[in-house]
Amino acid sequence: MKRLLIFSLIALVCSCVCFGQGKDRRKSFKSWDNYEITTERVAVDGTKFVKVWGFGKTVDKAVMNAKRNAVHACIFRGLPGAATANPTPAILKDPDAYVMNQEYFDAFFEAGGAYLAYINMTTDGVPSGQDRRKVKGGYKVAIYVQVMYDNLRRKLENDGLARSLNSFF
Amino acid sequence: MKKIALLSLTILAFMSVAFGQAKKPIIMVVPSDSWCLRNGFVQEFDNMGTPISVPDYSAALLKDPDIRAMITSLSGFMASEGYPLQSLEQELKRIQNESAEMAMMMGKQSGGGIVETPIERLRRTAKADIILNLDYTINKLGPNQHVEFNFQAIDAYSSKIISGITGVGDKISTTSSILSCLQAAVLDLKDGFLDNLNSYFYDMSVQGREISVTLFRYDSCPIDFEEEYEINGFYAELADIIEAWFADHAVSGRFSLDSKSANRMRFNQVRIPLTTVNPINGRETPVDANGFVRDLVNTLKKSPYNLVVGRTPKGLGEVWITLGDK
Repeated sequence: MKRLLIFSLIALVCSCVCFGQGKDRRKSFKSWDNYEITTERVAVDGTKFVKVWGFGKTVDKAVMNAKRNAVHACIFRGLPGAATANPTPAILKDPDAYVMNQEYFDAFFEAGGAYLAYINMTTDGVPSGQDRRKVKGGYKVAIYVQVMYDNLRRKLENDGLARSLNSFF
Repeated sequence: MKKIALLSLTILAFMSVAFGQAKKPIIMVVPSDSWCLRNGFVQEFDNMGTPISVPDYSAALLKDPDIRAMITSLSGFMASEGYPLQSLEQELKRIQNESAEMAMMMGKQSGGGIVETPIERLRRTAKADIILNLDYTINKLGPNQHVEFNFQAIDAYSSKIISGITGVGDKISTTSSILSCLQAAVLDLKDGFLDNLNSYFYDMSVQGREISVTLFRYDSCPIDFEEEYEINGFYAELADIIEAWFADHAVSGRFSLDSKSANRMRFNQVRIPLTTVNPINGRETPVDANGFVRDLVNTLKKSPYNLVVGRTPKGLGEVWITLGDK
């Protein structure tokens, strides 16, 4: 009986170690790994039309977070495909691109930072219904945005972080 | 001192821009063979009893507004990337006009005409280093229709597919114009294609351009590729000596010997540097397949081989070397 109790305790500790971190990350409002984004359809030339989720203590903060996530996805993650749209590759391929240019991107993504110039909201007003969820510690909201993908890519090319086709010749 | 350093840096930067750049591949959008066949834009020949269909690009570009619109969309976004495409339509027209003018030209003093051999005439066709093969089908189902597209970018010399993208467009009513669907298809494939092309150019800048070299022997050549020579006390066939040259000169010694016989050798996947020092003017210049084999051709012309050697460029990435004649 004592052995069984000890074994159960060990199993419990292990599960906390294994899954606890993931749970914390899922809860984290700031983690870049922790957002969902889907491509809605093929957008007009030079732009991407996506549905993106964000977290925040208030709905406004969650919306701002979602906008940041949309730009972040275009630069580092790429956008997933949809039934009638191919996936969009990330502008920067190097998985360490953020860390290698930490100062640049910290300034780029700061509140009211340059990233906002590459976002067009396609829905006005506060998200509601299925797109607005009260979660522990705040809100999780989804917004539909148009990302100025080509402009964003050119900005990173001009700042020397991405290479244009012409730069090879 | 500071001024001299600044001046030196400026000159160095100018030289790297002026001389150190690689040759830019020509890209051309071409309707795929299967699209031409499905839409009836083919010319049929009888090749000794076997019927052969050849795509008729001129007719396709002249008669089909949809393919023209797709090519225009593709050309538009490539131009906005600072990489204009070569127009197939204009190139075909240019060749046609060139032929007409060449037939009419006459020397002012001698009255002689322009000389052109049949092989030169045959080679004067629309050429590109990267071919963008465009294919689409319009599927109709009840009151709706949708576009399925298939897009391939192919390296003309290695026949490798640089980028391949397929997709299905949104369903629209059969009464609606298909043009908007085709344009949406181009937008859909755009970023994936640009990304693949970027990766291809990056690979080229790091590992060198990939080329093919074919060596032929004219019947007037006194030796074949199995002829033995003494090199550093060892006897080696000419084919082995040529292979050793490629091992010494290809980037990281990377190449494949595709085929080897007494009369023919073909090397492919040969990685060559993008720039090299030109022995004629001593400057660093962009290099292509033709420039890369210059040293090999010179070696074969000298003792102990003493051969007449010719080289015929087939574009940026392919060259033919002929032994025994030019």
